[in-house]
Amino acid sequence: MKTLSDIRLLFMRLFMQYLRNPMFIFVNITTPIMYLVLFMPLLKKLSGPGFNSGHVVQIFLPGIIALLFAMAGLFSVYPTIFELKGGLIERFRVTPASRFALLIGPILMWNAWTLISSSVIVAISVLFGFHIHILGLLVFAVLLVMLLTIFAAWVTAIAIFMKGEITSISGIVSGLNLPILLLAGVMLPLSLAPSWMRDLAHINPLYYVVEAGRALSVGDTSSYAVRLAFAVITPLTIYVLWWAIRVYQKAVA
Amino acid sequence: MSNTVIRTKDLQKSFIVKKQAVKAVDGVDLEVKAGEIFGFLGPNGAGKTTTLRMLATLLPVDGGEATVAGYDVRKKPNEVRKHVGYVSQLGGADDEATGLEDLLLQGRLYGMSSNQAKQRASELIKALQLEEFADRKIRTYSGGQKRRLNVASGIMHKPDVLFLDEPTTGLDPQNRANLWEQVRKLRDAGTTIFLTTHYLEEADALSDRLAIMDNGKIVAEGTPRELKAKIAGDAVVIKPQRAGHAIDAISKYLAEQPFVKEARIEGDAIRLYVENGSQALPKIITLLETKKVLVDAVSLSQPSLDDVFLMQTGRSLRDTGAEGVK
Repeated sequence: MKTLSDIRLLFMRLFMQYLRNPMFIFVNITTPIMYLVLFMPLLKKLSGPGFNSGHVVQIFLPGIIALLFAMAGLFSVYPTIFELKGGLIERFRVTPASRFALLIGPILMWNAWTLISSSVIVAISVLFGFHIHILGLLVFAVLLVMLLTIFAAWVTAIAIFMKGEITSISGIVSGLNLPILLLAGVMLPLSLAPSWMRDLAHINPLYYVVEAGRALSVGDTSSYAVRLAFAVITPLTIYVLWWAIRVYQKAVA
Repeated sequence: MSNTVIRTKDLQKSFIVKKQAVKAVDGVDLEVKAGEIFGFLGPNGAGKTTTLRMLATLLPVDGGEATVAGYDVRKKPNEVRKHVGYVSQLGGADDEATGLEDLLLQGRLYGMSSNQAKQRASELIKALQLEEFADRKIRTYSGGQKRRLNVASGIMHKPDVLFLDEPTTGLDPQNRANLWEQVRKLRDAGTTIFLTTHYLEEADALSDRLAIMDNGKIVAEGTPRELKAKIAGDAVVIKPQRAGHAIDAISKYLAEQPFVKEARIEGDAIRLYVENGSQALPKIITLLETKKVLVDAVSLSQPSLDDVFLMQTGRSLRDTGAEGVK
């Protein structure tokens, strides 16, 4: 009970702060729309392996949305750094608030915002010819929430580990940004890639979610890609959360 | 229930710095009684903050025992958390929230109902004079305003023990005096206060009892009066003219005098501890004159906590400004 109410308190603290910040809301909605408007036209004339199953937007959109969740998780480290530096996280750690709530409250908040902006994008994409398969999208949402949670919990733990040292942490985050993006087939399907790249992609959690998302966006809930994604992402989420909570408990920062 | 609120026995903490274990806290024994202001004085890097963070459940204890508010810090951290408040050097206020919101969140995290939290927050806003800006975002606060909010936040849940880590660092004299007053009021209302400081004046003026820490160890403990009484007498500082190498000889000569308890060279001056300063002063001048030593300056002072620190460690607290391992 206490854990649930702590989660709610810590979720609402951040959610209300961002709700009061018009710039945040503006960027949160416009950035993904820019991806759609500025990248999708480039794909129109492409054809080849991975492009033959339906309309381009049906393949491209799940990748963009999965990328949004991964990046939201990864970049959630920046507010965390400021909270570490300002002593806010330390202050929370002295209270009897549940350690799990301290970690998951903000992560759920990022999930909520990203779900909101993704819904806007999906709605707009219908204008570009995106066909909505409700069940597929709901299953996809579950994977996306786990994906964001993995990245966010991991970077939070790293930030605490490094005592909020912003230069090293932002080095790690921006260094990972590009390989995560490229090794997931977000922009172009990895079916175009050489085999070593495809093999390497298997260490990238985003890759599984993008692959599953492409199947789910056409309503194929029972495909191998979906089952594989759940088999990889679910245990990984649990493991990263467990590890991050331990770091929270023992932190020196 | 005993009236000891904080008790530690052989408390230990090491950090790995450049692949070497550094003992930040090295066998600290403490006893803090209910309702007192306990000062923890020492230079930066002495291990004060590390000790405090262990007591506030923020750092795992390496060795020894620590009990706070009747609970073992290692075995029952969550019980300890319910009974202590902690205000770090950083403050820890949520800059994007208003003061009131920040207090309400704090109360709720300690398990208060929404109404309880509102009531307590308005009490504290009044007591700590936050009315004017409680509804503004914290990032617009001045240093003193923020510090008062931090303290309010630390006592939202009426803790038995309040830990204050360097509470007045960076505050101007007026705000410092204001905070001292608030701390005394809290003590009078029954809260035990454990505060660290590297200001001699603060430790002297504010603490009922204090411990002096250096290099991870407690070097002295008692009331400010008891500690200064150990020095027993006054301190006389003499600056001989162009003494140069002769300063050693002069110091040795003075130390041999029966009325001088101890002599110590500090740069180009000599610090003497004597029974009675005003009687010793003319004697010293006469003695030096017979040795043809001219004196540039003489000063006489009551012993301060700095003298206590100097006596115990051989260094002056005022000189140990260098930042150490935190």
